Amino acid sequence: MPHDNGSMISSNDLNLYYEDYHALRDVFFDAKPGELIGLIGPNGCGKSTLLRTINGLLKPSTGVMLVDGKDVHKLNLSEIAKTCSNVPTEFPPDFNLNVIEVVMMGRYPHRKGLWWETSDDEKIARDALQKFEIDHLADRNINRLSSGERQRTLIAKAYVQEPRVMLVDEPTSHLDMRFKLEVMEYIRDLMEKERDMTVVIASHDINLMVKYCDRIILVKKGRIVGIGTPEEIVTEINIADVYGVECSVFKDPTGEVIVHPRCSLRFKD
Amino acid sequence: MESSTSIIEKGKKRLQMVILIGIPLLVLLFLISIAFGPVRMTLDETYHSLINIINYGPQTGHERIIYYLRMPRVLAAFTIGIGLSIAGAVFQAIIRNPLVDPYITGVSSGAGFAAAMAMTSGLIVASVSANYAVPVAAFIGGLVAFTFTFIIAESSGGRAINYVLGGVIVGMGFGSLTTIILIMSDDRVQRILLYLFGSFTGMTWAKLWIILIPVLVLCFIVLLYAREFNVILLGDEQARQLGLNVKRFKISMLVLASLLTSLCVSFVGIIGFVGLIVPHTARMIVGGDHRLLLPACMIIGALVMALADLIAKMAYVPIELPVGAIMTLIGVPFFAYLLIRRGKEYAT
Repeated sequence: MPHDNGSMISSNDLNLYYEDYHALRDVFFDAKPGELIGLIGPNGCGKSTLLRTINGLLKPSTGVMLVDGKDVHKLNLSEIAKTCSNVPTEFPPDFNLNVIEVVMMGRYPHRKGLWWETSDDEKIARDALQKFEIDHLADRNINRLSSGERQRTLIAKAYVQEPRVMLVDEPTSHLDMRFKLEVMEYIRDLMEKERDMTVVIASHDINLMVKYCDRIILVKKGRIVGIGTPEEIVTEINIADVYGVECSVFKDPTGEVIVHPRCSLRFKD
Repeated sequence: MESSTSIIEKGKKRLQMVILIGIPLLVLLFLISIAFGPVRMTLDETYHSLINIINYGPQTGHERIIYYLRMPRVLAAFTIGIGLSIAGAVFQAIIRNPLVDPYITGVSSGAGFAAAMAMTSGLIVASVSANYAVPVAAFIGGLVAFTFTFIIAESSGGRAINYVLGGVIVGMGFGSLTTIILIMSDDRVQRILLYLFGSFTGMTWAKLWIILIPVLVLCFIVLLYAREFNVILLGDEQARQLGLNVKRFKISMLVLASLLTSLCVSFVGIIGFVGLIVPHTARMIVGGDHRLLLPACMIIGALVMALADLIAKMAYVPIELPVGAIMTLIGVPFFAYLLIRRGKEYAT
């Protein structure tokens, strides 16, 4: 059994097979309350699969995933929804929904009445709109939002679920550099206020992860090959090993760690 | 005051508005529908006849026409309008495709084929309950077609697109069989075609109760799940992650909506368009929240269907036009207007 020493998320020797494909191998990690964890690794390495085992969408073949001290696969869907929320990359084409309606859906796991939300639900949703500075867009159709605004709406929806753990999958892939920074600032800001919430972000943007995350988990072919502070994990050797890319890791004049990819090792020589 | 901007209060107010505007319109259309027919009556006469019917039962010739012919007919139009619109809204939400209508799972083709079979096979027509042979056959045919679609869709992955494709091929299969029956049954072609286009002639109180009660019960069940229909709009994974058992919800609602559709087509035949446009129209008027959308669908569905039937029986007296064709004819310009006015915000 994984030890439960105040971890928010902990897994021990977790394996997951898709039929005969070994998607997660001997996964062992833990995350503490209040930590911002960055999940990095190449396409298809198992980042999303790992996120899906944390929120119970996928059941591990062996091993246990404990979230907030409970085996997530023994909880029912509604209990999971109150523990874990997630922010998807993409938003499906909608059927005429507006921002406040989408954010209010985050209150679904906490529903009390049969039909209508309570005024408490609405207050929580309105507060979230303010926190993420989308309150002026409350009645805007979500099809008419910019990518950054849409991403903030999705984060607000995940936030009003009042989760212990928030999982964020590729939050910045469609965003320009300003919105990328802003989304991460919003998440950081959120964590300042909700001090014991854990956030796990899967992303391809290593520089952004290095800048904002407390710890980084490096994933290669379904196996966790490194957990540690950004400076421990993001090294030229690790990047070459996991991504197959030759890169320079250096500090910019303000002291921030920067990864600059130079060339794919496949095309070297 | 905060309550004036509250979205919940706003929702409740809008629902009240939908009901307060809808119910008087339904009553008005009900009165017009029982006043007009090949035998004309003024609204005043109709009103007095109605009072007499309520107090003493139908006695004069006019009262009998109203009570035995026109009342069940307009109530059936309301019922079918409600049923097909709700079924359309359910399928559009579950399959997440705006082009979906209640017949997407092959129900109409199965029902059409079974009805055609019942009308041409001497065995069934000669049986004691000839009056009910066609509806019963159509109902079963609709459900059989849905079962085929269900099996194909579930064994090919069970996603929305599997249902669309499964429904399309099952529909084509039954459609071809119906065509063959049509060609081979020259003397009954007219009757079969009438069924395939849909008609409210021959509606009786007995038949009405058979569809009215189950249709209302099924619609009530759908209404209870309005919040779940909202959540499913966020996509399967998000809905599941919000705590909804998506698989179970989808399958039960697909079965329920197919049952609803089969009931609707069993007695009156295949009336198109209403289940496609009413949910869209309602969505453009009240928005995407199913707590407003579903009640609005019921009211608009009942109104357009009764209006279409009124035009179908009055436009070319004494010949009745097929209500399905009328439905489409009044629907097209109305829907085009809405689309032009509101289509920019309504980007599906």
